[in-house]
Amino acid sequence: MTDIKIEMNNIAKIFETDDVETHALKDVDIVIRAGEYVSIAGPSGCGKSTLLSLLGLLDMPSSGSYIIEGVDVSNLSLDEAAGIRNEKIGFVFQSFNLIDELSVFDNVALPLQYKKELPTDDFIKTRVEACLKMVEMSHRAGHKPNQLSGGQQQRIAIARALVADPAILLVDEPTGNLDSKSGDTVMAVLAELNKNGTTICMVTHDTRYADMANIQLKLLDGQIVKDELLKVAV
Amino acid sequence: MRKLILQYKQAWASLKKKPGFVLTVLMTMGITLGALLCVVTLNYLLLVEPLPYPEQERLFVAEHGLIGAKKETKAVAYTYPGLVHLYKSKQAFEQASMMMYGQDVIVSHSSQPLVNIAYVTPDLHQILASPMALGRMFEASEALDTNNPVAMLSYNTWMQEYNGSADILEKKISLSGVSYHIVGVLAEHFVEPELEIIGRKTQVWLPWDYNQAGKWQRQAFDNINGSLKFIGLLKQEVSQSQAQQLLTPLVNDRWQAGLPGDDDFFKGWTINMHVRSVKDRILGESESIAVMLLAGVVGLVLIACANISNLFMARTAEKQRQMAIQAAIGATKKHLFKAMFAETSLLMFMSIILALVLAQFGFYIMQQYLGAILPRVNELSLTPITFASAVLVTIIFALFFAKLSTRMINYRALNTTLQSSGKGSGLQVSKKTRQVLIASQVALATVLVFANFSLLKDAVKTINAPIGFATDNISTLILNFSSSDIPSQEEAKPIMAEIMEKLEALPQVESLAQGNSPLDGFWVRALTSVANNEKYTPFFKSVDHHYFNMIEQPILQGDNFTMAQRQDGANVMIVNQAFAKQLKADGDVLGMQISTGRPDSFKIIGIVKDITIPGDSPTDRDSSALGSGVPRVYVPNGLGGQSFMLKLKSGQTVSRKQLGTLLAEVDSRYSVFSFNAASAILTQTLFAEITTAVTTTVLASLVFLLAGIGLYGILSYGTQLRRFEIGARMAIGATRKHLITMIIGDNTKAVLAGFIGSIVLFALAYISLSEYIQPFLTWQVLPMVVATLVLIILVTLFACYWPLRQYINKAAIYSLRGSD
Repeated sequence: MTDIKIEMNNIAKIFETDDVETHALKDVDIVIRAGEYVSIAGPSGCGKSTLLSLLGLLDMPSSGSYIIEGVDVSNLSLDEAAGIRNEKIGFVFQSFNLIDELSVFDNVALPLQYKKELPTDDFIKTRVEACLKMVEMSHRAGHKPNQLSGGQQQRIAIARALVADPAILLVDEPTGNLDSKSGDTVMAVLAELNKNGTTICMVTHDTRYADMANIQLKLLDGQIVKDELLKVAV
Repeated sequence: MRKLILQYKQAWASLKKKPGFVLTVLMTMGITLGALLCVVTLNYLLLVEPLPYPEQERLFVAEHGLIGAKKETKAVAYTYPGLVHLYKSKQAFEQASMMMYGQDVIVSHSSQPLVNIAYVTPDLHQILASPMALGRMFEASEALDTNNPVAMLSYNTWMQEYNGSADILEKKISLSGVSYHIVGVLAEHFVEPELEIIGRKTQVWLPWDYNQAGKWQRQAFDNINGSLKFIGLLKQEVSQSQAQQLLTPLVNDRWQAGLPGDDDFFKGWTINMHVRSVKDRILGESESIAVMLLAGVVGLVLIACANISNLFMARTAEKQRQMAIQAAIGATKKHLFKAMFAETSLLMFMSIILALVLAQFGFYIMQQYLGAILPRVNELSLTPITFASAVLVTIIFALFFAKLSTRMINYRALNTTLQSSGKGSGLQVSKKTRQVLIASQVALATVLVFANFSLLKDAVKTINAPIGFATDNISTLILNFSSSDIPSQEEAKPIMAEIMEKLEALPQVESLAQGNSPLDGFWVRALTSVANNEKYTPFFKSVDHHYFNMIEQPILQGDNFTMAQRQDGANVMIVNQAFAKQLKADGDVLGMQISTGRPDSFKIIGIVKDITIPGDSPTDRDSSALGSGVPRVYVPNGLGGQSFMLKLKSGQTVSRKQLGTLLAEVDSRYSVFSFNAASAILTQTLFAEITTAVTTTVLASLVFLLAGIGLYGILSYGTQLRRFEIGARMAIGATRKHLITMIIGDNTKAVLAGFIGSIVLFALAYISLSEYIQPFLTWQVLPMVVATLVLIILVTLFACYWPLRQYINKAAIYSLRGSD
């Protein structure tokens, strides 16, 4: 448990509109180690999504330091941040954000096409098939996203997030757009992945799913108010 | 009816909330439809509308073509006696008139204006049934050989020169020493047939007997004059071709008999009479200009239409929720169409009102600037055709935009929109539709930009072509002699010498030459090489010994003329390079003897560099000179000539009035006929090219602007629709470069399709208008093709990047925000 994947120190995020400053996050300290399954919960507007955006380098903090696998990523240019996202972060969105015009296979393969050096076709094929297998969607490789159910689309989104072998999987309300049955299936996939060693950080407001994580962070008004280690990760 | 009013009230209320949208539609459609109404009215006027004369379908001109020994047309112009012979024969025509155009100074007027004159027989105004504002038209008392000095004024001349004086019919005017009694003023709405130069308006009409032809010219069958015309009403039973067959032997036989027996220059030549309708004669090559203008403006309207379609589709997408509510409370698809049609028809109605105002303004602009290029533009006004076109266009576009907008609506899906609380992808313009719009924008823009570029290039090339002589500070002064007792050369010599002395003494004058500027005074003369008896028809001009120095035209070989040669009337000649090469391939022609048909031949003593006068082309189309310069010949002028070139000191000016006073001091019979700066004459000569350049620049800019806005609009909309996709791609590691490449790549197919579309449009244009297009198809158009493609590609790249930058230059979360 000494292999630190993510370390945030004194992170703050301030949004400025006209003359109004909104402190979305303040003094946030987070450490996520390899293999951990972290959930971030809190009421609406507490800063969950903002925190996940910062963790995923989709946005930059106003202050504080952020280190991923020993690399300081607090102050990166847009393209440098894109590179780190591609190499080290897998993102799963509430609304899946799959590209309708691409097949399931091509959607999953997409992150590999943004690598600095394009992998061989064989590597892409092997890797995509492996990821689809992980989420039990191999049989849908040739379909278009709009031919799939919401739960299936979210599993494809998870496969896409895993394809570049990221340091951590960031998951934003994965069941928010799903019915309970599909939601359960997706959560089972995530639990299985974590069991197999994938580090996961998930934002959710559903306490049932938050409880599945071994570390639960609770946010209130932009600050972490509870940091609870529930069980030892594998 | 109440329902209809309510619908329009609602449409108006809805539009009022979107002033930006309304303004964009109004300006884009208003301007382009204004241009469309302008050119539609122009095309109707030129191509369809009959001339405003009774029995205009029987109104024909007879043209006198000189056919060379090889059956080639040498020139189309009458000999004076040939025209009179034709007129007197009364063949083929029921009634006909002779005309000669000229200019003269009204010396009896205090400001001595130079006016356009037409010398006509009384038949002309009888045939045209010319409406009169005052008095009468010419009648039998002014027929041929009656010598009755009366005059008719144009309405504008009456107004401008005589302030519309009520007692004008009691006045007399003096021109060239003859006093004419004014018998009539033509009505304001009289339309003069533009038989000589487009845009030329006759200001004073005089009887034929007083025309400017000299005694020699009136007898000479070997001299042609381009300002002589023949117009008449063809007999009912005679067709156009029958008239030609009837007139050709009549005129040819008289011409052959009238030629001097000792001159074999015209050996083998014949006269061919060409009878063509006055409408056809007036229209000339204007038909192609009018059609090209129409094609250009239709292209412009199509681009504007694509832009506005794009806007309407975006607006429909925006109104999706409103329409969903309407559908939920019972609106059928037809109701939605009617509501949309109310909006589109309101917008098109406002656009067409603006278009009509702009069309009226466009007519004014055309009358001011295209009057010298297109005939009948003075007749342009808002006609029933303009209004009918406006109504038609309004209905078509209102229906088209309404249909296009409602086609986007999936009525079944609309009902579910409210159920999903606005979630989902919403109403969008399909990718296919967007690609079609991009391709059509690119295709139209490519065709129009290329066509405009090509026209602009030709016009600019002519404008910027080096003319080979100086015009700076040089003005031409031509004297008017206000007496019918014309002095001989010997009598004029001392008077001209004194005038020159006084002109040279003016403090503003740097130097002086006797003769016309290079921009006028050339005429065509038949010459024969004594050595081999070859015949030539170069441009011919008499100049003095200062001429070449003043205009800085270099003498390449041999000598300039001398004062002694001028005094003695020596038979010496200076030729230009082009004529030298025509005479001898190596151009070594010094010492060659050239015959003018008179007993003593001329000796070539010098060769000067070629000059280029816009609009001049070699007269002998079979000559080897074609493709090189225009052959020109110079001979020394006499000392009694009444034209002078004044080179003024830098920054100095001389007024017409000042010159008039100077001339009156020497001899009161002399006044200023014309005094024009050579640079002004050059600009006037280039008027058509300058107008073309300005028109094409404006049109090309407008096309480019509209195409740019259209491409930007549709690409921007496409990018906006892909915002979440772009965010998702950024989230999984796409860099800016990846995304820019992706957007460009995705649009490349449509742009390429557009380029292919432009080739198809060109091919279609070539098939239907090959005679107009073929002359332009040379390798020289390649740079224009490249420039057009580069320009369109640059606009497309800009339109790809600019809307994208708002997403890719911010953190990925900004693009993703709201996706959930």
